[in-house]
Amino acid sequence: MIFVQSALTGVLVGGLYALMAIGLSLTWGMLRVINLAHFGLILLSGYLTYHLTTNAGVDPLLTVVATVPVMFVIGALIQWGFQHFKVSELSSLLVSFGLLIMGNQIISNVWSADFRRMTSDVNPYATGSLTLGPLVFPMPTLIASVAAAGLVLCIHYVLARTFVGRALRAFGEDPAIASAFGIDHERLGLLLAGAAGATAAVAGTLFALGGSLTPSTAFEWFGVVFAVVILGGIGNVLGTLLAGALVGGIAGVMTIAWSPVAAPVVVYGLVVLALVFRPNGLLPRRGGHG
Amino acid sequence: MTWRGPAGIGVVILALGALPWVREAFDLPIFLLAFGTLVLSWTALATSWNILSGYSGYFSFGQGGFYGVGVYTTAVLTGRHDWNFLATVPLAGLLAAALGLVVGLIAFRLRALRGEVFALLTLAVPFIVAPIARLNPSIDGGQGITVPVPDIPEPLNGFQDLSYLLCLAIAGIAVVVAYVAQRSRLGWALFAIRDAEPVAEGLGVPTFRSKMVAIAITAFVAGMAGSVAAIQVGYVTVEGTFNLQVPLFVIVMSVLGGRLHWLGPAVGALVIVTLRDRLATSGFEGFSLIVLGGILVLFVLLAPEGLVPRMRRRLVPVLVAFVAVGAALWLTRLREDPVDWLAFGLLAAAVVAFLPGIRRRGAEAALEPVGPEVETDHDAAAAPPALADEGAPTTSPTDKPIVVVTDVTKDFGGLRALDGISLIVHPGELLGLVGPNGSGKTTLVNLLSGQFRPTSGTITVGGEDIGGLPPHRIAHVGVARTYQIPRPFASMTVRDNVAMAIMFGRSPTDLEAARAAAEEHLALVGLAELADALPGEINLHERQLLEMARALATRPRVLLLDEALAGLNPVEVDNAVGVVRRIRASGLAIVLVEHLLRVVNQLATRIVVLDQGRVLADGDPATVMADPEVVRAYLGRRPSGALPPAPATDGGAGA
Repeated sequence: MIFVQSALTGVLVGGLYALMAIGLSLTWGMLRVINLAHFGLILLSGYLTYHLTTNAGVDPLLTVVATVPVMFVIGALIQWGFQHFKVSELSSLLVSFGLLIMGNQIISNVWSADFRRMTSDVNPYATGSLTLGPLVFPMPTLIASVAAAGLVLCIHYVLARTFVGRALRAFGEDPAIASAFGIDHERLGLLLAGAAGATAAVAGTLFALGGSLTPSTAFEWFGVVFAVVILGGIGNVLGTLLAGALVGGIAGVMTIAWSPVAAPVVVYGLVVLALVFRPNGLLPRRGGHG
Repeated sequence: MTWRGPAGIGVVILALGALPWVREAFDLPIFLLAFGTLVLSWTALATSWNILSGYSGYFSFGQGGFYGVGVYTTAVLTGRHDWNFLATVPLAGLLAAALGLVVGLIAFRLRALRGEVFALLTLAVPFIVAPIARLNPSIDGGQGITVPVPDIPEPLNGFQDLSYLLCLAIAGIAVVVAYVAQRSRLGWALFAIRDAEPVAEGLGVPTFRSKMVAIAITAFVAGMAGSVAAIQVGYVTVEGTFNLQVPLFVIVMSVLGGRLHWLGPAVGALVIVTLRDRLATSGFEGFSLIVLGGILVLFVLLAPEGLVPRMRRRLVPVLVAFVAVGAALWLTRLREDPVDWLAFGLLAAAVVAFLPGIRRRGAEAALEPVGPEVETDHDAAAAPPALADEGAPTTSPTDKPIVVVTDVTKDFGGLRALDGISLIVHPGELLGLVGPNGSGKTTLVNLLSGQFRPTSGTITVGGEDIGGLPPHRIAHVGVARTYQIPRPFASMTVRDNVAMAIMFGRSPTDLEAARAAAEEHLALVGLAELADALPGEINLHERQLLEMARALATRPRVLLLDEALAGLNPVEVDNAVGVVRRIRASGLAIVLVEHLLRVVNQLATRIVVLDQGRVLADGDPATVMADPEVVRAYLGRRPSGALPPAPATDGGAGA
């Protein structure tokens, strides 16, 4: 039963990973930039939630009112820089790595390198849990994963059904043709990057509900989030959600069966296998230029 | 001129090697030695990283993993098994190199590995290695290892002397290897991989092996640097070893110094270590990562070529600024600390290197070839030695066939691009391969040059089955191709583009010989005047001619021209036709894929028409062009529901 419990908890945590990964995956797939600063946005938003909740007594979930617009603007600004300098994919990786390092140091200077966690008197969601028969799910994880999965599904719907979504997908498939059909790719790029920033904001806030923050947390997400991005298929929304659940579940079981430190070995082993056997992700690609 | 570089490196290494004794003689603070150790250690890590990632463009985040393997090799063997420290240093390098080869084996075997995916894969290296070290009690087990202070060999004076000299030795190895690589076939192979990897492979460059050698060198040096770092740290932990500090620093250093020059990472290491040291001593330690991140962002966006190329362009002013500012601070005693003299000297040098205004040089700068430097050899340029064309036996079309394609089928997923193709090419023949769009012409060219492998059927060239060979081996068998959209090596001059093909051709040569031999091929296509231009500076027609010259330089037995005349104006087409005629005179077989029937009719001795992946017609131009089936295929009206009739010359393959 402990395996079932840890696998299910892992799957729930995986929902949050999927939300962290989705912005990265979409901007990589559609805008051809790899934005490592995304991790910085998630972290910063976590700290903002912590700060507002601890110092101003705001309900932690309500802090998204602040974090979402801020991260939207920052995400769009970074994309504006990428577009202005016409950076290549690899250069975007380097530039955003530089931005991440800078942001990380700033966070460290402001909030120190110690662990920060909302105490239970300001965080009403910290202690609750949901019991289903023999299974127990901590409330922060549950809220985070339900919200994350819901948001990812919304993004899928927006991309599949709305005009903006179709335009974005067309642009991701072939920027030149899409531009020829009158799609303003610059503004679309800013919009998508801003939206990716907004998902980072929600992810950071949700992470802060149950997790402890330290500046180096951003680098701990690196491995698992990129595993989700690659396993899910770059730019593939539902694939990312599935991969998040899979990676989370496997990491959860490994933690119990072997050791918490062993999880990355297995997760990365999976990534390597996926790259060798399914370079386009777990789910088959619909159309496109495969 | 070739002695200058090695002599310079030798003098600098000897001078730095004397520092421990100089320090003692002049009673300088021991801090200087520690500072030097740090600079040299980072020089080794960054320079070795650059051999793989700077030269070939495959950015690696794995340097921390290789370094960590080195740290732990020494820590475990000296701390737990009482090994002699010095014996563990090369072993640390070898183990790290083994890890590097494993990473390379996995990553470089991936089909269509892109640079960004390689970067993320190597990011996984420390994430995988660290838990293994942490979980395994015979390596670390989670409590860290105390590394004993090694015995100090006789002539040395103390621990700091030993680690300084060891770091000097390792950094020296790294810099010498980087210098040699930039002038050797390995360096050229890596530069070509960065510019256009599939093209390099097609010209005979063993791309896989080159990348494996580069990653092994990178990891070997990083492992040794880690080994020496272990004794300096004294107590190693998994968290302190496997983090992103090493990859971050080597990337920033190399980007700052310049990735395409052997000295770039060393200069970057000197600047960054000095900068960090000054920030720390003046109480701004908390800002050092902000500064580092900022440098990375600014240089990637605004000055991707780095400091060294800019400094070389203004060598004298830069050196004057460095020496003047440093010496002024020293003599006026405005600053007491020698590192301050260095720091302000470097700052002055960097400012001079980046001063705007002298646009006269700056304008040329952007167009300076970034490949291995040209040691201008006027003799070779003035009098190109007549190269014997042994590779092109003049034979008549009646000889043994050179290319035999037998019943070849190629599927892409469910789509059948080629369906049971059989055809033969004789030496001296010019085969025109025509057909409507999507009929499989380019697929056939890609099969012949090894870009794709046939789903079934066999292809032999000169009697050798090429079905399972990698493209660079097929190039050595004697197949060369051009690309529809020219794909020159953008950072090399026109001459060096051709020299590349000669260096890695069937009889490998060194750089100087290849440059001399390139002249002949350039003359043949009429590009001799433009030999020193960069591909970006010449027009489409000239780039297509360059493609031909480069393909010819491999001394092929079969030359595949894939729409080499696309997009040209009529005058240029006529010129290109003349060039193809001259090429043909040397007796090799040419397969010409072309849309312009006028050109095909002028040149071809035989025409093969493809339609829907099958051979529709095969014969002399007049007959084929009169064939009603061919006319129908070209007009796009096909007999509805019926497949095209079996080609008349189907039995040809058995002949």
